[in-house]
Amino acid sequence: MTRLNANQWLALVLALLAAAYLAMAWQIPTFPLPRPVDSDLFPKVLGFLLLLLSGFLFFEKPTPMAGADEIDQEATQGPLLLTPWARVIITSLAIAAYALLLVPVGFVLASTLLCVGLTAYYGYRRHTVNLATSLGVVLALYLTMTRVMDVYLPTGLLPF
Amino acid sequence: MDALNNLMYGFGIALEPINIAYVFGGVFAGTIIGMLPGLGPISALALMIPITFAMEPSSGLILMAGVYYGAIFGGSTSSILLNAPGVAGTVATSFDGYPMAKQGLAGKALAIAAYSSFVGGTISIVFLMLVAPLLSKVAVSFGPAEYFALMVLGLTAVVSLSDKSLVKGLIAAVVGIIISIVGIDLQTGTERFTFGSTQLLDGIDFLVVALGIFALAEVFYMLLRGGGGKEPTRNAIGSLKLTRGEVKQIAGPISRSSVLGFFTGVLPGAGATIGSFLGYSMEKRIAKDGDTFGKGNIKGVAAPEAANNAACTGSFVPLLTLGVPGSGTTAVLLGALLVMGVTPGPMMLEQRPDVFWGVIASMYIGNIFLLVLNLPLIPLIAKILDLPRPLLLSLILIFCMIGVYGMSFSVFDLLLLLGFGLIGLGMRLFGFPAAPLILALILGNIMEESMRRALQISGGDWMIFLDKPISLGLLIVALLSLTLPLFKKRIKKIV
Repeated sequence: MTRLNANQWLALVLALLAAAYLAMAWQIPTFPLPRPVDSDLFPKVLGFLLLLLSGFLFFEKPTPMAGADEIDQEATQGPLLLTPWARVIITSLAIAAYALLLVPVGFVLASTLLCVGLTAYYGYRRHTVNLATSLGVVLALYLTMTRVMDVYLPTGLLPF
Repeated sequence: MDALNNLMYGFGIALEPINIAYVFGGVFAGTIIGMLPGLGPISALALMIPITFAMEPSSGLILMAGVYYGAIFGGSTSSILLNAPGVAGTVATSFDGYPMAKQGLAGKALAIAAYSSFVGGTISIVFLMLVAPLLSKVAVSFGPAEYFALMVLGLTAVVSLSDKSLVKGLIAAVVGIIISIVGIDLQTGTERFTFGSTQLLDGIDFLVVALGIFALAEVFYMLLRGGGGKEPTRNAIGSLKLTRGEVKQIAGPISRSSVLGFFTGVLPGAGATIGSFLGYSMEKRIAKDGDTFGKGNIKGVAAPEAANNAACTGSFVPLLTLGVPGSGTTAVLLGALLVMGVTPGPMMLEQRPDVFWGVIASMYIGNIFLLVLNLPLIPLIAKILDLPRPLLLSLILIFCMIGVYGMSFSVFDLLLLLGFGLIGLGMRLFGFPAAPLILALILGNIMEESMRRALQISGGDWMIFLDKPISLGLLIVALLSLTLPLFKKRIKKIV
């Protein structure tokens, strides 16, 4: 059996998504009063278009992955937690944790922690500069948003 | 005379102290953000939206316009000093700008870029002032069928002019529309694709998608390329002075490319990138010393710089007169305007002349600021390029978070931002262009509304799109724009 290339895998995933989308489009309730175009028409057209385009993509010749040659090769052989993909995964987890902790911990603390932590994780070793810059920028943003623009940001554990 | 009176009215608005401060702030922030490799005008504008949210629409758009052309100019600085264009529109500048920098002439290249941007921007504002009201008058007669066709053309043009795969571009556009119609259908009140979540009832905010697909995805991409330590070496700046002979040499290329750039910018889908490449190749072809292009020819810096700034201004024509953005960047601008409660279009000239003429007048002031700011301060501003990459990446993340949370106060939106960041990374790695997605996201709802209104008028008869000559013409051009790249490929193969 011949192996599928990247475009073919993507096409299959997109086709599945298009099929699911179409199934959902068919469940959109109709408007009680008759009208020439209801809420379901546009989604149905889009679903079929996506399905059709997935078909075209299946037969399109794949190009090399963009920037694959630029991926940091040295880092791929380093410690597991510092490999390029690990950096992306850990950053994503940090963002998710930030989103969940933002309200209970507060904007200033959560943002400073995220900024200092990720900067150190990415390999910056001047910790005092890191802390001073991160705290300075976060505080400046916080004060601009809350005092100048009257936008509420969660205070969390801090009293202000 | 009318145009002059209107311009004076615009200056009355743009010269208000607060608006002068916004122009300056916008140009300054745009220059800095545009300079950072990877962060283009779309990210810069998306990051600015939360700031403009509570502003007067005219002030908000004045700030955003400043950010836009500031970002384009900032991109040229990193193109010249690092050979790392921050913006696609300044790639052509690096062809001769970087060799000049390597020869110790970075200051000269930056000065040429500043002068060319200034002249390109100024010439194109005159054209904008003249062309936009004319186009507005034509567009007043557009009905829903014509608008639908125009939006189809806008999308297909952006897809066909992106250098990536046509099919992938179309998929990105379809996905953009799919995202745009999540939420309550305003015409019938029916919920669509909300999965029972109350947070999706109002749809997905375009800022979440724009920041995710562009800024956050860029951070992830930089991490893959080794986000840590490896800083590119920056060339020293040197003298900024130009000789009289050099000024004479660049005068022709600047004026030609300014006009060319403006009209390229007006076309849907073209914009600064194509404008700058066209300007560069046109000058290379006509220049007697064309063979020295790519080796540090000053005309090779002047032409693309004038063209890309002129194209930026040109891209305001369809946005302000038709309400249909021709590029990803102007789509973000449109989104920002909608957030501020202004719907651009042919009636804007009548209903919101303060926004229309205020922005045009502010562009003159902004261009002067660009010149004043960039010539003496560029050695200082360029120090931003020395900012350690790890710190820069973390700060961009914080800006994205505060941008999204400050708009919606929703943790759910922060998680959506992360999702779109990962989708953006995937799109980048697998060669899906992001501009069609963002344009479709902005246009999706308006497109559906136009289509449904047209079909309501015709009683459900789809022929309405073909019976109206303007709509038919626009759809034919849209179809051609999609088929031309295929023909080009065939011809290339035969040759």
